[in-house]
Amino acid sequence: MILWVFIFSLPCLGWAAEEKQEYKFDLSEIEKKPYHLGGYGEFRPVVNGLDHDAALYKLRFYNLDEGKTTKEYNFKLLVDGSYEQDNARFFLRLSYDVNNTYLGWKDDLTPYEAFLSLKPSHSLTLDAGKKVAKWGKGYAWNPVAFIDRPKDPDEPDLALEGYWVLSADWIRSFSGPLKTLSFTPVFLPVLEGINDDFGKTGQANIAAKLYLLLYDTDIDFIFFTGGSRTTRYGVDFSRNLTSNLEVHGEFAYIEDFQKRYIDSKGNIFSSTYDAISYLLGVRYLSERETTYILEYYRNGTGFTKEETQDFYSFIDRAYDRYLATGSSAFLAKAQSLSQGNYGRPNPMEDYLYLRISQKEPFDILYVTPSLTTIVNLHDSSFSIAPEIAYTAITNLELRLKATFLVGGEGTEFGEKPNNYRIEFRARYYF
Amino acid sequence: MKKITITLVLLLLALPAYALDGTQLLKQIDRNLNPENFEMYRKLINVEPDGRKKEFVLFSAKKGLDKIAALFLEPASERGRSTLRLGENMWLYIPNVGKPIRITSLQSIIGGVFNNSDILQLDYAAEYDVVKVDETGNEYLLLLKAKTKTVAYDQLKLWADKSKKLPTKIECLTEANMLIKTLYFKEVKDFGGGIVRPSYIETDSPLYKGYKSVMIFAKIQKRDFKDEVFTLTFMPNIDSLRK
Repeated sequence: MILWVFIFSLPCLGWAAEEKQEYKFDLSEIEKKPYHLGGYGEFRPVVNGLDHDAALYKLRFYNLDEGKTTKEYNFKLLVDGSYEQDNARFFLRLSYDVNNTYLGWKDDLTPYEAFLSLKPSHSLTLDAGKKVAKWGKGYAWNPVAFIDRPKDPDEPDLALEGYWVLSADWIRSFSGPLKTLSFTPVFLPVLEGINDDFGKTGQANIAAKLYLLLYDTDIDFIFFTGGSRTTRYGVDFSRNLTSNLEVHGEFAYIEDFQKRYIDSKGNIFSSTYDAISYLLGVRYLSERETTYILEYYRNGTGFTKEETQDFYSFIDRAYDRYLATGSSAFLAKAQSLSQGNYGRPNPMEDYLYLRISQKEPFDILYVTPSLTTIVNLHDSSFSIAPEIAYTAITNLELRLKATFLVGGEGTEFGEKPNNYRIEFRARYYF
Repeated sequence: MKKITITLVLLLLALPAYALDGTQLLKQIDRNLNPENFEMYRKLINVEPDGRKKEFVLFSAKKGLDKIAALFLEPASERGRSTLRLGENMWLYIPNVGKPIRITSLQSIIGGVFNNSDILQLDYAAEYDVVKVDETGNEYLLLLKAKTKTVAYDQLKLWADKSKKLPTKIECLTEANMLIKTLYFKEVKDFGGGIVRPSYIETDSPLYKGYKSVMIFAKIQKRDFKDEVFTLTFMPNIDSLRK
């Protein structure tokens, strides 16, 4: 009897011992070192369900037979490294991607960021190198992100590759309604081999952002000019209306924007106009810890419903011609256009974005389900993506996500090469 | 009659002294907890209902009544994230996302019982008025009411040690007197520089049954900061404050 009592009490002794050691804080955990290395490794297998009737399927797979689905195996290693000495700091972010798709194996090593930062004082920072700006307050879209690469609205939180720049941040604080003012000028050269995917090469470009915290509202005034892209102006804001309701918006005015579009017969047209894009959104956190993000986006540089339908019609004609004659010349023309503005995420004019996520529903620990939808307001096609994230193990994130594309013939989501996409992501931070 | 009148007058004169004492007492409690401008390191431990623990290490900098910033040092998945509070404004910066977003005081970016207002705690005297002070044995009991609707908890009941003028327990309540959480201040420690205060806070909540959260303090020291440190633009650089 005594033995059984002893055996059953052993775990309690273990717990008691654990409890005594539970609240430890070793000062070596907070020792600052001049260098740092960290990041994450990620494995992301994907299954795409193909839509054989879609125009973009025909464009991509016209000479391939991949069956009903394609699979991808994606590996990513994102490494952040930094070294700090006195007022100087060097930061490097490298992304190494290895992908296996229906096209075979491919790998790519890209420095996302690599810059030297000097801080003569807390009010002034000078940066030189490859850097990401990430301007704008929108979640899914940022019309005022004049010097950023476009982000994927399906994955707006992903790290992006920067551009080579010289920039500065000058900050001033005040008491009164204007609490903070900061000014960020940026010099962005575009030369062969340096930022040459930004726009016209052999050009110098200037951008600037003026930030104010005024009456508890974040406000940015943004400007860009140069030879690589046309001059543009922007403003954005973000403010809490109540403690759990935030509203934000962006407005961009782009001078002399040139839009190239195609008709159903393959004739290419160009129009130049001053484009206006804007976004308005809200973020709400309920008492049950449900987060809602709702945004409306007007893309002033986008294609109309007719222009997009003409593009898809041209692809269908080009595909029929290929089947009849074996010539892929017209398909090549369509492919060239699809790598330009037609190939952007959300290339048309008016969109709605809604994301709902719930922290630990029904008290299921470490689980966060979410649902995201993007609706094209002109053709009523949409994507809908339920997902579930699991974070029970420290530094390990698991996520399962399915995306379904719904739309009829001639619509944005209806003409995408796939009907659905199922993706699993395992990410380990170190 | 004359005696009654004199007694009444003396009592009336004493009342403002009590109200003043309550506010002064609360300010003293604030100063005993932390200097007005300081830096510190904390470890937050969330104990989940299944017994598992999640630990977070933070560096924090505070200035004046309403400026506080915090930087996550551990675990690796949170490293580099920072939060900033400037008056009633609160933001979260995630390095991958690359830009700060506004968050609310009632949200918890780390989960567990502590929320953002607990992590970015301002002086109690900055956010609360003293309604009443009672004395119970060797403790004061202060009843506090939030100054504005944006404060996380509408009411606080704060028990403080009379001799040390340090809190021992705080109950956080709604306007309807519903208990949200209780904070227990334990193990008073000398951090040097005249800072002698509880070295850890334990909290539990009837709304989070089975959860427990603990905050352990280390290396608290007075330090002055420029105002520009507590701005959105500086958030990616908070780590440069650490020595």
